[in-house]
Amino acid sequence: MAEKNKARLTKVLDYLKYDDPFSKGVSFCPGCGLELLLRFIPRVLGNDIIITGTPSCSAPVLLGQNKQSWHTLSYFGTLMTGAAANATGLVRYYKKAGIDNTVVCFNGDGTANDIGFGNLSGAAERNEPFIYICYDNEGYMNTGIQKSGTTPYGATTTTTPYGTVHKGKNLRRMNLGVKMAMNKIPYTATATLSDLEDLAKKLLKAKKAKERGFCFLHVFAPCPTGWGANPADTIEICRQAVKTNYFPLWEAENGKIRMTKTVKKPKPVSNYTKLMKKFNHMTEADLEILQEDVEYETCLLGGLSVLEAECQLPVSAQD
Amino acid sequence: MNTTAISSNIQVITGNAAAAIAAKLARPDVVAAYPITPQTEVIEQISSFHASGDMDCELITVEGENSAMNAVMAASLAGGRVFTASSSWGLVFMYDAVLATAGARAPVVMVNVNRETPGIIAVSSGQQDMISTRDAGWIFLIAENCQEIMDLVLQSYRLAEDYDIQLPVMVHYDGFFLSYLSEGVEIPAQETVDQFLSVLESQPKRTMLRPGEKLGVGTHGILGGYMELRHKHVTAMERSKAKFDAIDQEFADIFSRSYGGQLEEYLTEDADMVLVGSGSMCGTIKSVIDEQREKGIRIGLVKIRMYRPFPHQALVKALKGKKAIGVVDRSLAFGFDGGPIYTELKAFETKLGGAKLVSFIDGIANTDITKTNVKQMIQMTADLADGKDVPEVTWVSYPKANKDKGEK
Repeated sequence: MAEKNKARLTKVLDYLKYDDPFSKGVSFCPGCGLELLLRFIPRVLGNDIIITGTPSCSAPVLLGQNKQSWHTLSYFGTLMTGAAANATGLVRYYKKAGIDNTVVCFNGDGTANDIGFGNLSGAAERNEPFIYICYDNEGYMNTGIQKSGTTPYGATTTTTPYGTVHKGKNLRRMNLGVKMAMNKIPYTATATLSDLEDLAKKLLKAKKAKERGFCFLHVFAPCPTGWGANPADTIEICRQAVKTNYFPLWEAENGKIRMTKTVKKPKPVSNYTKLMKKFNHMTEADLEILQEDVEYETCLLGGLSVLEAECQLPVSAQD
Repeated sequence: MNTTAISSNIQVITGNAAAAIAAKLARPDVVAAYPITPQTEVIEQISSFHASGDMDCELITVEGENSAMNAVMAASLAGGRVFTASSSWGLVFMYDAVLATAGARAPVVMVNVNRETPGIIAVSSGQQDMISTRDAGWIFLIAENCQEIMDLVLQSYRLAEDYDIQLPVMVHYDGFFLSYLSEGVEIPAQETVDQFLSVLESQPKRTMLRPGEKLGVGTHGILGGYMELRHKHVTAMERSKAKFDAIDQEFADIFSRSYGGQLEEYLTEDADMVLVGSGSMCGTIKSVIDEQREKGIRIGLVKIRMYRPFPHQALVKALKGKKAIGVVDRSLAFGFDGGPIYTELKAFETKLGGAKLVSFIDGIANTDITKTNVKQMIQMTADLADGKDVPEVTWVSYPKANKDKGEK
């Protein structure tokens, strides 16, 4: 058993071909999912990527405070409203000038799903050749835990607090990954931090696929501070999100959805929700609504993958 | 050296076409734009040049103006020459990126076709869009006619990308009055424009964001470091005044057309009275001045070509010692008795040697600044010079405003 685990671990490390360009100590909260993801990307893709970032949790480290960023990557810090358009401007100029590049447009769910969705959608339509990565911590964490479009049903945030009349978010979360896959871009995938080998493979696939155009990675990245979770549980939260189908792992080439991890016997969503305080107030009836929503999304994903296999996208539209 | 005589050609084209052709002649690497009345023709023409292979640029047909500005800002900071065009609401929709572009000192060149902003369907000319964005940190230039649109766009690249300046430049021209006006424009030969812009290649290279280089754009700034950046921005803006004058001189040597740099002065030297204006109204004002001069009235015009940075030194020099000055604004400044340019000039009143100032609001929401209107302005300025009682501000085409101050 020990031998088997060791072999698997080595396989993950095999993907880490490059140095960690980040400072050893940075100003992220303990257990921050974003930090692990941010360090992981250049170790897999290389240190010659250009990373773009916006005001967000990533900003202090990625863009620096006052004088210096906390890493040695080339970076482009900008506004939440136009992140994908900035990345577009970079790759179009590099294309014109004949400069090889891997531009990673790195944003939270606030930028990707909400305030910057228009230009994300535009970049997908124009099939711009860069990798857009959304680290989804289900809210506006840097401004102090407010609701976003990906905040799940029931969750409390500072703008969806628990009160006598309203009890947490009374709306379902949007499925950003599926929204993007439906644009038939060369590559879309979901990933999370409990399945790093899967994440590494998807990063490398995206790097290859961006030669054909736009790539989108939706990465589930827990926020222990904002969710009321034990910082030591970050990876366990990711693991349970996958095992309960709360955050299924799949990929889509030209919109053709394929599960990269099939959960044969999904666990109840309460296995996931019990790991944090933001769902604490939910009754069994409330949790049932969340459970049904998870099952609906999983069912839809299965249906889409079947339908996509039956319907053929014209070859000319794929490249 | 005059190389244009043999190779340029004169065509009857619109102001929008002049902007598009000028952009083509500047050979930008990246163009990103979104259509809006009255600018649309600019990007239609550029798309047509691009489709036919006459323009070798990356053309980004974005999903909104905000993305247009963000895309050209990034392309510019990566090292490219860029162009975009917008108007009114489009300028407002890209405003956060307009500010960021200036803060990053990205040498973006764009045209803004002036249109009113306050009403959603105010599809009409006015300079309120320019006024509302005046302190974004961009250099603002204003064209009077289609030829000047062409020439200012070309000059803008020299100004924006100059190593000593590195600031974005916006060329403003009046929507409707110039965007759709067709008139004869001398289109310079490509080689002549290449020659004019080649000076930039001999300068040190500006910092460019390239893969693998340990460089960053957009660091968070507070306190001292940020103040240093802001102060450098202010001084670069101040340097751009003399630089613009020098570029105009050099432009004259190559293209045989000169405008005077920051200001164009029309019969001001012996004038007792001067009107201060900008944009397309200046053509009408000049023709009225010609008529008035025949009657012996010593009136001149100062045309503001560079609006940001505010050319106060040049204005004081041109206006000092005049008896009376009438400032024509096509926009509003709330809480002030007078238009925005009038209000700004008023700050230098003590340096004008006793010249009296009066404000005229006209030409907003597409109202024509007619010759009759200009005559009225000149008459009122003359009355002021004669010591008569003249109201500080007059809405020339809206007499009701001058009578009923308390209307609701």
